Amino acid sequence: MTSELLLRILLDFVLAFVVGFCWGILFGSPKRILWMAGLLGALGHSLRFVLLESGVVLITATMISAVTIGILGIYCAHKVHHPPVVFTMPAFITMIPGLYAYRTMLGCIKLTDPAIVQKTPDIMVQIGHNLMLTLSLLAILAIGISIAALLFRTKSVKEINFGKKQKVKKAE
Amino acid sequence: MTENIPSSTNEYVHATEFADLALDIATTMLASGAHCGRITRNLDRLAKRWELNVQMQLTFIGVAMTVTSEHDPYHTVTRYRSTPPHSVHLELLTEFSSLTWKAADGDLNFEQVKNETERIKKIKHYSYWSVALAVGFSCACLCVLAGGGLIDAIVACMGAFVGSIVRVFIMHHKFNPMISFVIASFVTTMVSGANMVFHWGPAPEAALATAVLYLVPGVPLINSLIDLIEGHLSSAWNRALFGASILLCIAVGMTLSISLLGLNNF
Repeated sequence: MTSELLLRILLDFVLAFVVGFCWGILFGSPKRILWMAGLLGALGHSLRFVLLESGVVLITATMISAVTIGILGIYCAHKVHHPPVVFTMPAFITMIPGLYAYRTMLGCIKLTDPAIVQKTPDIMVQIGHNLMLTLSLLAILAIGISIAALLFRTKSVKEINFGKKQKVKKAE
Repeated sequence: MTENIPSSTNEYVHATEFADLALDIATTMLASGAHCGRITRNLDRLAKRWELNVQMQLTFIGVAMTVTSEHDPYHTVTRYRSTPPHSVHLELLTEFSSLTWKAADGDLNFEQVKNETERIKKIKHYSYWSVALAVGFSCACLCVLAGGGLIDAIVACMGAFVGSIVRVFIMHHKFNPMISFVIASFVTTMVSGANMVFHWGPAPEAALATAVLYLVPGVPLINSLIDLIEGHLSSAWNRALFGASILLCIAVGMTLSISLLGLNNF
């Protein structure tokens, strides 16, 4: 039972790694940090998977993992000397609510057919539910990406250092 | 002209020259998927180096900018430039960020910054074959994550790969970008819908839903919300509208192909 769950988490991690890595290629992230995009995406997605398995609601689970990835991204930005958006953007795309956006669109298409509307009277409720899920998840991902601007008063990520002494850093 | 050039920067840059360079950088960054806060920060950094002050109005389609000298209020210029066609390219954001930091530290003079900008603008995206392969793999993985089997994943991979190649082909012939989204989503759904018609895999709906995900405008939609958080309202609405119209185009393409295939029970 436990080993099966671990295996599923591992599978989720690997799949999300590939998604983050490949989305980095689609968005033209530099070659050197594609692995970082994959790693952060995999961490975020598997964290969300674990939270969902332990009974946390989808929106809360996404919120927790998005904020975690956002803060990890600021830390990693110092290590690899790249602005965080370059690798957190592909990483966040692994959690983009594509399926819910798709269901919203499909629901709107179904709404044009009177026969389907008669057969499923709660179609408007379904559309509204999927639309609200899509919008809230998108907003949460945006919060995760701009966490630096929301939590810290400095304007640039380069000036954020987690409680360390100020030291002059220069890009090579 | 200004006489009191400070000793810290013994280089004098005219506001017009600077505005041309800054508009170049701003429009290129906007087209490669930067949010407005990032552009403002980068250009503020650059302007401080030569004791200039920059005020900008950023929208999705263009940048209006006023550059004023910090010492002489009459030494000012206002320019507008519209953006090149949008295509997400995050590497340029890294390059511009490190360029503006280097310039702000005083390591580069104005001429060098200009040359660097020209070099950065010429950086190539990944070849469309590797992008198509990457898109195929990631859609296959998303399909498995959404509960599809191995065959569904292969079908989703094929659909996304073919659709991506078709989109590059259409864009290459300078058609309207919206049309390219309609046709790409049509082709992708035709391929992944075959799975549904012939019942190859255990979960054909998963393949149908995830194969088109490579077209979803994630960067404009997320940037729109970041702009909203940071208070760039006009740009936020522009981006949201752009993203929504792409989503609409994907829906149109999918509807066309679903009704052609005769899938009534989708």
